Amino acid sequence: MSHRFLAAMAVAVVIAVALLAPPPATGQAQSPAKATPAKPTPAAKTWTVPRTADGQPDLQGVWDYRTITPLERPKELGTKAFFTAEEAANYEKQENQRQNRDLIDPEQGGLFYPPGGVVPYNEFWYDRGNKIVGSKRTSLIVDPPDGRLPAWTPEGQKQADLRAAEQRSTQLGHPHADSWEDRPLQERCLVGLNAGPPMTPGAYNNNIQLFQTPGYVVILNEMVHDARIIALDGRPRGSIRQWKGDSRGHWEGDTLVIDTTNFKRETNVEGSSVNTHLIERFTRADANTLLYEFTVDDPTMWTRPWTAVIPMSKSEDPIYEYACHEGNYAMAGILAGARAAEKAAEEAEKKGSR
Amino acid sequence: MQNRLRSAIFAGAKAALIVALWVGAVPTIGQAQTYKAPRTADGKPDLNGIWEALNTANWDIQDHAARMGPVVALGAAFSVPAGLGVVEGNDIPYLPAAAAKKKENAEHWLTADPEIKCYLPGVPRATYMPYPFQIFQTPQYILMAYEFAAASRTIYMNSSQKSPNDTWMGWSVGHWEGDTLVVDVTSFNDQTWFDRAGNFHSDALHVVERYTRISPDALDYEVTIEDPKVFSRPWKMRMPLYRRLEKNAQLLEYKCVEFAEELMYGPLRKQSSEGKGGSK
Repeated sequence: MSHRFLAAMAVAVVIAVALLAPPPATGQAQSPAKATPAKPTPAAKTWTVPRTADGQPDLQGVWDYRTITPLERPKELGTKAFFTAEEAANYEKQENQRQNRDLIDPEQGGLFYPPGGVVPYNEFWYDRGNKIVGSKRTSLIVDPPDGRLPAWTPEGQKQADLRAAEQRSTQLGHPHADSWEDRPLQERCLVGLNAGPPMTPGAYNNNIQLFQTPGYVVILNEMVHDARIIALDGRPRGSIRQWKGDSRGHWEGDTLVIDTTNFKRETNVEGSSVNTHLIERFTRADANTLLYEFTVDDPTMWTRPWTAVIPMSKSEDPIYEYACHEGNYAMAGILAGARAAEKAAEEAEKKGSR
Repeated sequence: MQNRLRSAIFAGAKAALIVALWVGAVPTIGQAQTYKAPRTADGKPDLNGIWEALNTANWDIQDHAARMGPVVALGAAFSVPAGLGVVEGNDIPYLPAAAAKKKENAEHWLTADPEIKCYLPGVPRATYMPYPFQIFQTPQYILMAYEFAAASRTIYMNSSQKSPNDTWMGWSVGHWEGDTLVVDVTSFNDQTWFDRAGNFHSDALHVVERYTRISPDALDYEVTIEDPKVFSRPWKMRMPLYRRLEKNAQLLEYKCVEFAEELMYGPLRKQSSEGKGGSK
């Protein structure tokens, strides 16, 4: 939290955001079985869900979803779904060391940075948390049971290969930047990396504020200041496609369920398509914990739906204004850099041919 | 005779009463308010809903005649509509240097107006841009979400919390004065404007907004602007805001970054002899 002022500093350096850590954050999760809503822990038994004036479970407040638990379970952990307390402490220690950008020598490479590449942000910029989720799960993905994204469809594989190649060349300092449209949506400040939908922990700004009024829930994302307005009155969905899709919500017991379709492009989850059907569930587990579970069903890209659970912790801090586009000097820098590199190559070629 | 006179007087009085009732049913801002707004669960006037200004203040907050727009090809479709100003007395008390700056802004509108680049519009401009906004009113926080640029701001009710930094949308603290929501907005940067006519402010801007329901479907919106670096005295704007009555009215996305990128980054696009840039 000490780095929250970064948000207000805006993106003085949006730079190649694609290079930022994959979903890393904090939280005391309960450990729900698979894709089911929260089960109260023994400690929470005396706690009852607060209600709004109109009788809905009160989910309001600022929620922080930092964690260093990865979206996908590291392959080497195999079938291990939970850490023991000791393993968790070891993992946190190692992961905090491994993630620390200040300890990575660009010449040597490290983490997912290849040797001789670019480590675009130093540690100062990160606010990814330093703890794994309270459930001690080894991944945020709870289904498939191996904690990993399901197999790609042929189209999904094709897109994944293209992304990997692009990421590699960006990491090596040669971003594809004929135009701004070649850059990822988050670098253009059109959508936030972690803001969703669905929300997934990222490098910084892992905060939302929930508002509830009769008939509505609003999710205000700190990342790229997006207010997702969700009507609860069962109104029909129109034909308009939007960056954040079109969401409708309803209550199932004490769980808020949000159903989103009509995406304009991919969601914030890498590899998803416009055909994504997203179901999100919010359940208060105790006074300080909001469980966020989402299921991505995208038959264009994945061979089966998948589900992740992210615990969010109550925060007393305000949401900061993250004026991303307004401070996006990096986009001009990336494009100008690419043009300069082309010019240099052209001149080198001319010289060589003389 | 006496009876006929009396009945004529009575009829006249009745007509006057009817006129009075009819006028009363269509309140205009500025007259005494007797309308009693529905309440939220905590007993406050209910401001929830989707609202929009219906004026040309975003073109120019002062009186302005119609004039030709900046894009020849768009002719009558995108020229500037005339409008009565929303500034009280139509006078903005600029300090001399600021008046010169305003004039310069107006002359360089197309390159200098932050709206054109899809920057967060600030307050009060966000309120009267030609896009709807939605109020979400809770006892502790009131969220105002604007369609333009996905801008929003949170109003902290009865809070003593200070802004952590200067911002585009300001730091809003609210309280109720009778049936009026009063919002005190500070901690602005100096980057936003009031309109497309170059009216501007500094980072010393202090805005006080007053939102009052005057009918089932209208709010009275009054704003006091104070900025000692730019103006010689505080001044006011005032306008009604109207409820969007469409069935299933919904705030849609206007993520305008993508509409400003060509303007902002176009010269940095790869120029190819085959005419094959990176984007379509």
